[in-house]
Amino acid sequence: MTDQVSRRKFLSMVGASTTGAVLFVACSSIPDEEFIIQAPVELPEDLVKGRDNWFATTCGVCDGGEGVVVRVMEGRAKKIAGNPDYPINLGKQNVRCDSALQMLYHPDRIAQPMARSSKGSGFTPITWGEAEAKLQEWAGSGRVTVATNPIRGQLGKVAGDFAAKFNGKHIQFQALEQGVLHGAMKSVFGADRLPEFDLGNARTVASFGADFLGTWISPTRYSTKYGEFRNAATGSGRGQLFQIEPRMSITAAAADKWIPNRPGMEGELALAVAAVIVEEGLVSDDNIARFTANLPEGALDVFKASTISLRAGVSEATIHDLARSLATEGPSLVIGGGSAGAHTNGSFNLNAIYSLNILLGSVGAKGGVFLNPDSPIDGLPSTATGASFADWEAELAQWRAGNINTVIIRGANIAHGLPRSVNVQQALDNVPHVVAFADVLDDTSAMADLVLPEASYLETWGIEVPEPAPGYQTVGFQQPVSTPARTRDGSSVLSDGRGFGDVLLRAADGALGAKTMKEFVDDAADTLQSNGGGSVTAPTASLLMRGLLQRGGWWDTNARGQTRPKDAPALTNLHADPEFSEPTEGEGEVFNLMPFASQALLDGRVAPAPWLQAVSDPITTAAWTTWVEINHHTAKRLGISQGDKLIIKSTTGEIEALAYPHRAVPPDMLGVPIGQGHEQGGRWAEGRGSNVLSILVDKKDAETGALAWAATKVRIINTGLNTEIAKAEGTVEAIAVEPGVPILVVEPGGNAKETLHHLEESYDPYADPNDN
Amino acid sequence: MVTQQDSPYNWGMVVDIDRCTGCQACVLACQVENNVPLNTENLYKQQRIYSWIRIERYWEGDFPDVKARFIPILCQQCGNAPCEPVCPVYATYHNNEGMNVQIYNRCVGTRYCANGCPYHVRFFNYWEPVWPESLRNQLNPDVTVRSRGVMEKCSFCVHRIRRAERKARGEDRLVMDGEIQSACSQACPTDALVFGNLNDLTSRVSKMSKDDRHYKLLDDKLGTDPNVVYLARVEEKVEEGAAAAHG
Amino acid sequence: MQQGRQLDEIRINKELLNGALETPGWWKWAVLLLGSVVIMGVVVFGIQTNKGLGVTGLSRPVFWGAYITTFVFWVGISHAGIMISAILRLTQAEWRRPVTRAAELLTVFSLLTALSFPVIHAGRPWRIIYWIFPYDFARGLWPNVRSPLVWDPAAIGTYLTGSTLFLYVALLPDLGVLRDRTTGWKHAMYGALSLGWRGNPRQWRLQTVAGVLLSALMLPIFVSVHSIVSWDFAVTPGVEGWNSTIFAPYFVIGAVHSGVSAVVTMMALMRWLWKWDNFIRPEHFDALARLLIVVATAWFGFTMVEMLFSLYSLEAQELAFRDMQMFQWPWAGLFILFLLTGFFIPVTMWLFKSVRNSIVLMFWTSILVNIGMWLERFLIVVPSLARKQPFVYTWGSYQPSFVEFALMAWSFAFVSMNMLLFARFFPLIPLFESKESQIFTTEMKIGRTTIPAVLREQE
Ligand SMILES: Nc1nc2c(c(=O)[nH]1)N[C@H]1C(S)=C(S)[C@@H](COP(=O)(O)OP(=O)(O)OC[C@H]3O[C@@H](n4cnc5c(=O)[nH]c(N)nc54)[C@H](O)[C@@H]3O)O[C@H]1N2
Ligand SMILES: Nc1nc2c(c(=O)[nH]1)N[C@H]1C(S)=C(S)[C@@H](COP(=O)(O)OP(=O)(O)OC[C@H]3O[C@@H](n4cnc5c(=O)[nH]c(N)nc54)[C@H](O)[C@@H]3O)O[C@H]1N2
Ligand code: SF4
Ligand code: SF4
Ligand code: SF4
Ligand code: SF4
Ligand code: SF4
Ligand SMILES: [Mo]
Repeated sequence: MTDQVSRRKFLSMVGASTTGAVLFVACSSIPDEEFIIQAPVELPEDLVKGRDNWFATTCGVCDGGEGVVVRVMEGRAKKIAGNPDYPINLGKQNVRCDSALQMLYHPDRIAQPMARSSKGSGFTPITWGEAEAKLQEWAGSGRVTVATNPIRGQLGKVAGDFAAKFNGKHIQFQALEQGVLHGAMKSVFGADRLPEFDLGNARTVASFGADFLGTWISPTRYSTKYGEFRNAATGSGRGQLFQIEPRMSITAAAADKWIPNRPGMEGELALAVAAVIVEEGLVSDDNIARFTANLPEGALDVFKASTISLRAGVSEATIHDLARSLATEGPSLVIGGGSAGAHTNGSFNLNAIYSLNILLGSVGAKGGVFLNPDSPIDGLPSTATGASFADWEAELAQWRAGNINTVIIRGANIAHGLPRSVNVQQALDNVPHVVAFADVLDDTSAMADLVLPEASYLETWGIEVPEPAPGYQTVGFQQPVSTPARTRDGSSVLSDGRGFGDVLLRAADGALGAKTMKEFVDDAADTLQSNGGGSVTAPTASLLMRGLLQRGGWWDTNARGQTRPKDAPALTNLHADPEFSEPTEGEGEVFNLMPFASQALLDGRVAPAPWLQAVSDPITTAAWTTWVEINHHTAKRLGISQGDKLIIKSTTGEIEALAYPHRAVPPDMLGVPIGQGHEQGGRWAEGRGSNVLSILVDKKDAETGALAWAATKVRIINTGLNTEIAKAEGTVEAIAVEPGVPILVVEPGGNAKETLHHLEESYDPYADPNDN
Repeated sequence: MVTQQDSPYNWGMVVDIDRCTGCQACVLACQVENNVPLNTENLYKQQRIYSWIRIERYWEGDFPDVKARFIPILCQQCGNAPCEPVCPVYATYHNNEGMNVQIYNRCVGTRYCANGCPYHVRFFNYWEPVWPESLRNQLNPDVTVRSRGVMEKCSFCVHRIRRAERKARGEDRLVMDGEIQSACSQACPTDALVFGNLNDLTSRVSKMSKDDRHYKLLDDKLGTDPNVVYLARVEEKVEEGAAAAHG
Repeated sequence: MQQGRQLDEIRINKELLNGALETPGWWKWAVLLLGSVVIMGVVVFGIQTNKGLGVTGLSRPVFWGAYITTFVFWVGISHAGIMISAILRLTQAEWRRPVTRAAELLTVFSLLTALSFPVIHAGRPWRIIYWIFPYDFARGLWPNVRSPLVWDPAAIGTYLTGSTLFLYVALLPDLGVLRDRTTGWKHAMYGALSLGWRGNPRQWRLQTVAGVLLSALMLPIFVSVHSIVSWDFAVTPGVEGWNSTIFAPYFVIGAVHSGVSAVVTMMALMRWLWKWDNFIRPEHFDALARLLIVVATAWFGFTMVEMLFSLYSLEAQELAFRDMQMFQWPWAGLFILFLLTGFFIPVTMWLFKSVRNSIVLMFWTSILVNIGMWLERFLIVVPSLARKQPFVYTWGSYQPSFVEFALMAWSFAFVSMNMLLFARFFPLIPLFESKESQIFTTEMKIGRTTIPAVLREQE
């Protein structure tokens, strides 16, 4: 005892010295607070001067049309985040949203209008006055085509009206066109607009080809709903997701079951699922009757799981499993799109896929498909989609033939996005006057005769109608939140950009109903005020306007679309096999080429933003380049290793890409991201990677004429050169060496502690993690 | 291990990997919010990218029964942080709100803390970060721009915490649940990241952190006592035979 | 046991002062060459400071590499001094006499070099003062005493102070001799440095007592210095391959292995360059080689135990790290090279008397040992970081860049150049020790008094 006391005494004596402190910490007997330094001054984080404001507006970078709030300090936009009020994205965002800041401040933004005196000569800067005079003169001098990205809302209306006024045409362009999808919506649901998918309330979701969590249609909205779906916000239990798609997208990775199928067989698979459901009578007779109403007698007989299993490369058990889950673990929802519609039988595929919703009774039901209403403001387009490839071919033929006098291009990078089989350069050379709006020069605007710097959405007014809407009427209001971006020292503006809409309105000189976009915004406030109701109401239009701008938009949860159960359409081309292009002659193994939208760069429209270039792809973790995903066994067989420069050849062209062999690629497929391979696009995009769209062969969907962008066969040739791929993953392929570390997987209702314990018990340190 | 009686706050995060889709929205939001330097192609090739939060992708199985699993990894704000005791200059220390804090001005760049950190979430400025002049407009004035030679890492968006705490102090109340969102959790579309005060037993983050599925990375092994809690991925056992027959 | 030839004092003076008083012709060229490497190192360091550590091959997760390896290496070499001057002095190994000074000198210079590596390695070397200097009492902003990086400068600083004092005390009698043999500014310099050394009995007694005391004081340092350096690694729980309780003794014995080998290298060089065949003799090499066999074998035992212990845990990333360290190219190549050079080749050779007595073979085997010991540290520092924790996703690799190689070259040039500069002005072999060893039995007449020449009994 005395011994102990004296030892403690000794320790406390030593404790007065620093060495003692070390000892004590080692024994944990000094409160740790002693080691927290307390500063008499506040941290620099406390010392920031100036007030920040968050302004609400709507973003038009991607096609969905989300509401955002922008943090502005001293007139400069600093951060973009989702608008928590906005019904589409509910405060959330995706990887692309913040990049608008970099486009706003991009050092390669076009500073002022530029014109060239003749085709092929260089650009000279001109004033806006001269530019507008030219635009007016050209627009009035003959037939006009206005080519844009798909735009809805006020901007879409202005573009359409402008084209109409000048006896022309408004044609829209989308690299991965959704025309097949819109067609399917019409034929299956009789709807012009994309519907709302009630993912959050669904219990079983089957998605054919649609990477809805990554790049498809409205990923931010779908992801917010997916979160609810996972955590059973509804109390119906955690939902199950089946992803039927040849390539592992992030949706496939998130899915409970990824079902890699043979490309183009999605429609038959859907019918095989239907056949199981019908045969086993898993759903009500009513639903079966609706589904089969327009099908020939016995049509489903050929879609027996046993037959389709062989054709589609999916096991019978999987088809049965999918059918039973969908039919018995509802609410169920079936989604289709992406590569499923990108075949010569694309329309058949999507019609068959979406018809499953009718069989499952999911149309208009909780957790299913809801149709969207029209826009609340008369005449504002609430839907838009790119013209089909066939239409574009026809349009370009007109240009080539010299029938079009003026082409106005905005947001439609056709030189990059259309297959090389249509020569865009040559077509544009035969158009006397090409006007392009651009923030940073892209491959198409670089071919224009007059380039007009376009202001960012952060600098302009507008009215957006989101698509798909959330099932009820929604309008987004866009306002300038940032003063025009200036150089760092503030001496001059970075770009004397103007809004596309404003420029068209001035050129039309009042003929389109207003002289500025702001006037339309005011008018819309008037309309909404006089209609009354909705999320923002006010006694006067100006008060309403204030409310609208504060909230970023207006919506009326009561103004819903009419969703009545309907009979499934007659499925045409029931037995149409997907057609693929012929491979080129010569050496090299033949593969199906599967282009896919890059998680960050999408189709390449945001490629100039360095932040997005630097985002690592979720699956491969690669960035800054174009890679080609190839099955690792196939690669090994062909002697291809990571970073090998491969030449990918179709009958219409070839590109180079760096090999990235991995384990989630079908052995006969190559996945190549879209979005790189720009000749223009500012310092970070120019000359980087390759453009896989350029080598697509002109196969088309039989019904809509849309480009069958998943129908190209290619050969690969290894150049033997090897470059290191910029990627985030370390030098070792990431396969967990211990179970449960760092990713723990539990069974439904499982407990993490018990599972970990169980894993530790059964852990075999001698096992090679590769053997699984 | 560290007792936090002197503060009503103990900031923490719950990461539900069952929700995470690997979409990278959080990664970019953090990059923007915290003036994290651009990850150039060279930085990638040098394995020196900065990603205060990153999404690690792990493979499991082989085609066609293959899984790509994602897990967001950020500073775990360890209660018993291996990075702290090794720093010779106290440039990284624990504050009384459960956070591991980095003082850039103090850091001499020994990188010892980074070796100590088992989670690989400390990022060293091997080069001076460069922003093209016009892009400096986008820098967040609340956050220091670090120079070459110093260590940086997830700060739990400390500047947002400070702003909210100051506001709350001014109104003589405590910060309310949901009042502070880190930039990453604000962005995360699937709501996989939930930020809040673990000391407040009614907060969303406290409740979620007690979910059956909760586990902490390496805590069993190293006793790091993280303030970041993970919720396990959920998956039904695959029955044999249901495997796809491809090819 | 091993004594050199009996030489008269005049001869001893002449031969041992030939470095200081008659500069050999090669000296200037050697210093010039080494000096240019030193200057190149300084320039490279300047570039690195200006551009940032991006110029190295370091990355995430391999945050430490060649610099820390070289730091540990030089701290290891510095154990030469402790081993020779403290241990061997206290155990009265007579053959140590000719090399005590050179060993101490090597200690001082390698410590200076070692200390510069944390500065070279730091991201902001201009702020390094925060590291050890409690600069802000008012706010209690002290260096963090929990950090091994604060223990390092303390341990190394103590060792450096002790060694410098030791070197100086031992140099005093020789400084007196030099003062008496020089004129002009040199006379003045040696006069000032010799602190009024007259060689009277009181001074001799004090000098000897100081030597013995310093030796005794250095003993704890012997244990502490490399223990503390090893704790830089051992206290880091997050790094498998570092976090090992065996590290302190393992590092100490490894340091002795490399330190004594460095002494052998140096002895061979001294014998060749200054032709001190009369003082540095094959018997000395033989004795050191016998010592090295013991040390090396003990060290090798530790190496094996450390591997076995770590493998016994069967932790996944520990296995992955050992797998990389031992079986993956190029690490496997380095590992085999390390085993061969650090142990198998030299120890096997030393078993033969003919090798032990061959100065050429001893020179090359001692060089091999230090190649092996550098690799040992490299193979501890780097693979452990490259396979840190089971976050396989972030596992990395490392290859030193040109800049790192240049600064490693700088360190060797810096130490060698300083040794040469020292040899230009001071005797590398202590005159008095050499004389002392020859006159154990004699008495010495100083003025009218007769004093015993030695202060202890001869065995
Ligand atoms: N010689 C020299 N000295 C220097 C410097 C130098 O360059 N040279 N640099 C100076 C500079 S720039 C700095 S920043 C300082 C760093 O030194 P300080 O500014 O003193 O930094 P800390 O004390 O570490 O700051 C954090 C303190 O704030 C406390 N803290 C953190 N959050 C809160 C909170 O919410 N509320 C309260 N009340 N406290 C909180 C932490 O517990 C901690 O004590 O060193 C200064 N000293
Ligand atoms: N009233 C009041 N005011 C205060 C304080 C206070 O206590 N009271 N605290 C003060 C303290 S402690 C601090 S740290 C500050 C924080 O405010 P700042 O002084 O702004 O400190 P940092 O945020 O570190 O920003 C300094 C930046 O300068 C850059 N830099 C570093 N060296 C150089 C250089 O040589 N040249 C140039 N051009 N740039 C360089 C680096 O990128 C670094 O990020 O606030 C200070 N202001
Ligand atoms: S998802 Fe696209 S459209 Fe929506 S806010 Fe983000 S960048 Fe804008
Ligand atoms: S890098 Fe900076 S924070 Fe990390 S241990 Fe060194 S000085 Fe401390
Ligand atoms: S995660 Fe790493 S950096 Fe963060 S507190 Fe823990 S040890 Fe420190
Ligand atoms: S909490 Fe803040 S600093 Fe940390 S990862 Fe999230 S956004 Fe980045
Ligand atoms: S934002 Fe959310 S879902 Fe997306 S990667 Fe980050 S944590 Fe995962
Ligand atoms: Mo500061």
